[in-house]
Amino acid sequence: MSSYDSRLLNFVIFAPLVFAAVLFILPKNEKGQIRALTFIAMLVDAALAIWAYVRFAEGPAEFRLEYWASWVPEIGLSYHVGIDGIAASLVLLTGILGPLVVLASWTFVQDKVKEFHLAILILQTAMMGALCSLDLLLFYIFFEAMLIPMYLLIGVWGSEERQMAAMKFFLYTLVGSLLMLVALLGVYFIATPAGQHSFDYAAVYNGLLGGSREVAACVKAGGENCSLSPVAAALMRYGPWMFGAFALAFAIKVPMWPVHTWLPDAHTQAPVAGSMILAAVMLKMGTFGFWRFAVPLFPAAAQKYQLALATLAVIGIVYGALMCLAQRDIKRLIAYSSVSHLGYCMLGLAAMTPEAATGSAYQMLNHGVSTGALFLLFGMIYERRHVRLLSDYGGLAKVMPIFTAFFVIVTFSSVAVPGTNGFIGEFLVLLGTFNSKLPLWVGVLASLGVVLGAAYMLLMVQKVFFGPVTRKENQQLHDLNLREIATTVPFLILIVVMGLRPQPLLTVIEQSTRRYVARATLGPESSEPQLQVKTRPPPTPAPAPAGAIPSLKLGENEAPKPSPARDRLLRPMISPNSPRPVLMAAPPANAQGAH
Amino acid sequence: MTIPEFTMADFWPVIPAGILTAAAIVLMISEVFLGAAASRTYQSLLSVLACVLAGAVALMNMTDTPRAVLQGYAVMDPFSSFLTLVVCVGTGLAALLAAGFLQHRNAERGEFYALMLFAAAGMTLLGLSNEFITLFVNLEVLSVATYALTAWLRRGSRPSEGAFKYFILGAFAAALMLYGAALLYGATGTTHLTDMAAKLRAALAETDASGGHPKQMLIYAGFLLVGAGFAFKVAAVPFHMWTPDVYEGAPTPVTALMSAGVKAAAFVALVRVFMALGPAVDPQLPFIAFSVLALLTMVVGNLLALPQRNVKRMLAYSSIAHAGYLLLGVAALFAVGKDAKVGVLSSTPLVGISGSMQSDVYQGILFYLLGYTVTAIGAFGTIVALERREDETKGNAWDLDRFAGLGSRKPGWALAMTVFMLSLGGVPPTVGFIGKVLLFRAAVDAGLLGLSIVGMLASAAGVYYYLRVVVYMYMRPAPEGALVPERRWTTELALVATAAGTVLFGVLPGPITALLQRTDMLFHR
Repeated sequence: MSSYDSRLLNFVIFAPLVFAAVLFILPKNEKGQIRALTFIAMLVDAALAIWAYVRFAEGPAEFRLEYWASWVPEIGLSYHVGIDGIAASLVLLTGILGPLVVLASWTFVQDKVKEFHLAILILQTAMMGALCSLDLLLFYIFFEAMLIPMYLLIGVWGSEERQMAAMKFFLYTLVGSLLMLVALLGVYFIATPAGQHSFDYAAVYNGLLGGSREVAACVKAGGENCSLSPVAAALMRYGPWMFGAFALAFAIKVPMWPVHTWLPDAHTQAPVAGSMILAAVMLKMGTFGFWRFAVPLFPAAAQKYQLALATLAVIGIVYGALMCLAQRDIKRLIAYSSVSHLGYCMLGLAAMTPEAATGSAYQMLNHGVSTGALFLLFGMIYERRHVRLLSDYGGLAKVMPIFTAFFVIVTFSSVAVPGTNGFIGEFLVLLGTFNSKLPLWVGVLASLGVVLGAAYMLLMVQKVFFGPVTRKENQQLHDLNLREIATTVPFLILIVVMGLRPQPLLTVIEQSTRRYVARATLGPESSEPQLQVKTRPPPTPAPAPAGAIPSLKLGENEAPKPSPARDRLLRPMISPNSPRPVLMAAPPANAQGAH
Repeated sequence: MTIPEFTMADFWPVIPAGILTAAAIVLMISEVFLGAAASRTYQSLLSVLACVLAGAVALMNMTDTPRAVLQGYAVMDPFSSFLTLVVCVGTGLAALLAAGFLQHRNAERGEFYALMLFAAAGMTLLGLSNEFITLFVNLEVLSVATYALTAWLRRGSRPSEGAFKYFILGAFAAALMLYGAALLYGATGTTHLTDMAAKLRAALAETDASGGHPKQMLIYAGFLLVGAGFAFKVAAVPFHMWTPDVYEGAPTPVTALMSAGVKAAAFVALVRVFMALGPAVDPQLPFIAFSVLALLTMVVGNLLALPQRNVKRMLAYSSIAHAGYLLLGVAALFAVGKDAKVGVLSSTPLVGISGSMQSDVYQGILFYLLGYTVTAIGAFGTIVALERREDETKGNAWDLDRFAGLGSRKPGWALAMTVFMLSLGGVPPTVGFIGKVLLFRAAVDAGLLGLSIVGMLASAAGVYYYLRVVVYMYMRPAPEGALVPERRWTTELALVATAAGTVLFGVLPGPITALLQRTDMLFHR
């Protein structure tokens, strides 16, 4: 690993912020310059994100591109960043989305242009930071810092009810994350030894490992009269509460039913850039939080509430879909479709099988691409007409053929038509759910959601694009211009490429899946290794607890080896009955070449 | 009669107060030679200089060995030295704000700054008093100066109402405290805190013929009266009623000083008195009393701030809420090592035996005091920059509407105010967030889970009213004919300094936390 690599993530995170500082001194009337500079900043960040992704995909270990710096040693807070497979792919998504967001609001935002672009640059830094953080408090800081720019995006540049929507968004998220802060402080004291308390992810993760194993053994033995170490006793007592606090914070962000009610308002009122970022990246912070923190830190509690989590996810899937059928406002409809789609991500995480977890991560990316594109496309027509109701449109296919073609392709992705990216994700999630310990009805209900999803999306397409042109205003609409086409085409490319050649991404994601599943299903005998990160200086020798688990250096020792999990993962897709012959063309052996 | 011998080592802790007093006297004398129309900006700058010098001495004192000085009437420890630093920062910034404010009202006189510096000297001395009479005298020095400052703008009903209320209730609270101290003196025969603690233990152990404790009622009554006096000074619910009216009626720079300096000094004295006497009187009572006060103060302060449209009043209620968070820290001091079961107030160590250290709690409290001082003075400073004399008589000088459209009218001020509001709400990356993390970290470590959760939820309500100011600044159009007073460089300097400090200490709190990482924070003999 070269020395560039260890600093690469710093550039990914802070490049937008540096450009924001430059932007700050530009005169506010130079709107063209401001837009161009922001676009360049986002392009640079996208290039850095792609570079980080490529560098990640080349190496073997799980957490890579790490950088560690002391920050507030008195309380054990450090600046520690690094990415694993899922973070790498979400960084990639966030990076690619950046320039497209700027392009999408090129003409839409005419008021307070400088402040708008400052907000999205700062937001980009906060999102990248949250994805890369390997320190609990650092993550929390970025997680909270995302709120302010997004709050301003909705509240200043949004539609008519924007202030209410922005406040609702802010307070909902804040209540959840403040409770999480208490739990975070609790886990910090429980997991790390007195005098060396640390917010470092690896320290907390490893500190809970032995305790979690004891708790698992105790639960298996009936939960009575176990002799537990202090850490395990604390986990036994507070683990469910702390898991609950983390889960609530992230469930609000996802958002899961029944704490989703801020989302339709926020999406409906946000400007197109806000909706795109919100849908494509910020909601992923919720699922990513479950993946990185809530489940791996508290496996016993997660297992205990596995069915509850899955049930809420399924309710979200079906409820979101049913609400979509009832919507008259197109943006609200897309927002509820997000509730439904993210239900799949959560179901995949709750199922705790390799297929489902991989599918869940893939679905996160899919949802980012397809829902981001839906909001982008709707933003284009909203800019022309400034109305959002289904009944205001109709027959657009005749007036705007290119737009219609694009929208239909994105719709296919959203309803998971085979050949698009959406299919892979939902298929893997459902497959993994049927293979998991969860009862059968969970999978059956979730499959019902797929049908409902097709129904509401196709009904919307029918009402908006086909039939006669009912409104006079719609007859004069001009089709997409070059900028708009250029903004949309990357999404279409992603939809098709991710649909036809999922292996490279799946390979990267699958590296973290293994650890997630092993940790989530942690049992008393499981030989789940400690997490060791390289760039952190060795801690001062602590009185080692008896029977300390030998740690495994993930950075260098783990040789790339064929993954049985992945073979198992892809096998169903290569079966003779598979409707996707194209997947057979790429044998798994090829996919490992990416290592 | 023997004349006590003092060495230089006895005087270091009081040198900051000496510098402040000397500057105050110079200002008063210089006023004699000035005509009515003379420029008086130098007075503000001289006050700032005095505060900088005093602060520098306090910073040096931080590293000195903790000890009792001046025959045990005072102590020299990092706790009081850091308070001196906080008071100097607060007074300096408030003096900077006062220049523009007073010039706009044609009320700038040397006596104003002199009173401010006298008050500051009283605050620093209050922090290091280790004896009840010294403590009371210093409390009166700072109180009398602030009563006068509150009434500085005599015209109008609000200043007189505020000042009168403050004076009457303040005098009442001081009397309560003095009476309590007298009762404790009656039970122990000493006014020195450290002696008193030992004698209280002995007095409580005494039994009379029938097996009762003859001095128990006396001691408990004295204890509660002293507590009530402090609760008034720090504006803890239910002793908070005076705060909104006084904060609203006082000249805004004085309000800034009150919300930051007076409160900080009172907190430090409270911690010193109760850490010395509390455990001697009762192992559980201080913990329960401060937990209840913290709970009430956090919840009621935040809830009462919610409906306020008057930003100055809103900040007054917000200062009550922040006193609640600090009281949570004080409760954590008494919870350390306890396993108390009192419902939501329970203290249960997380991991077997509590690994918590009181030094962490002191660190949290002191950092919070500094962070709150910088932020609150900045917030009041924005009000100073915005308010105009003409509006005061109409009663809407501080209405939220005054902030409408500020984002486009005065982007710099709006940005600074946004930073202050986010910091008060505890949103990263500001000093308010780090302070909250440190304070709640200590509380969680002490096992105060229920109180911490209530505090966090209350602070979520707090974010609502802080954000409403941001909403008005950026999302509401400016009202027709909205006028803004002319810019004054002193006010803007104070705003820039506080905003920069708020962000800087939020991103790089390292130097401060390192300074506060001490195990000998509070001196006990």
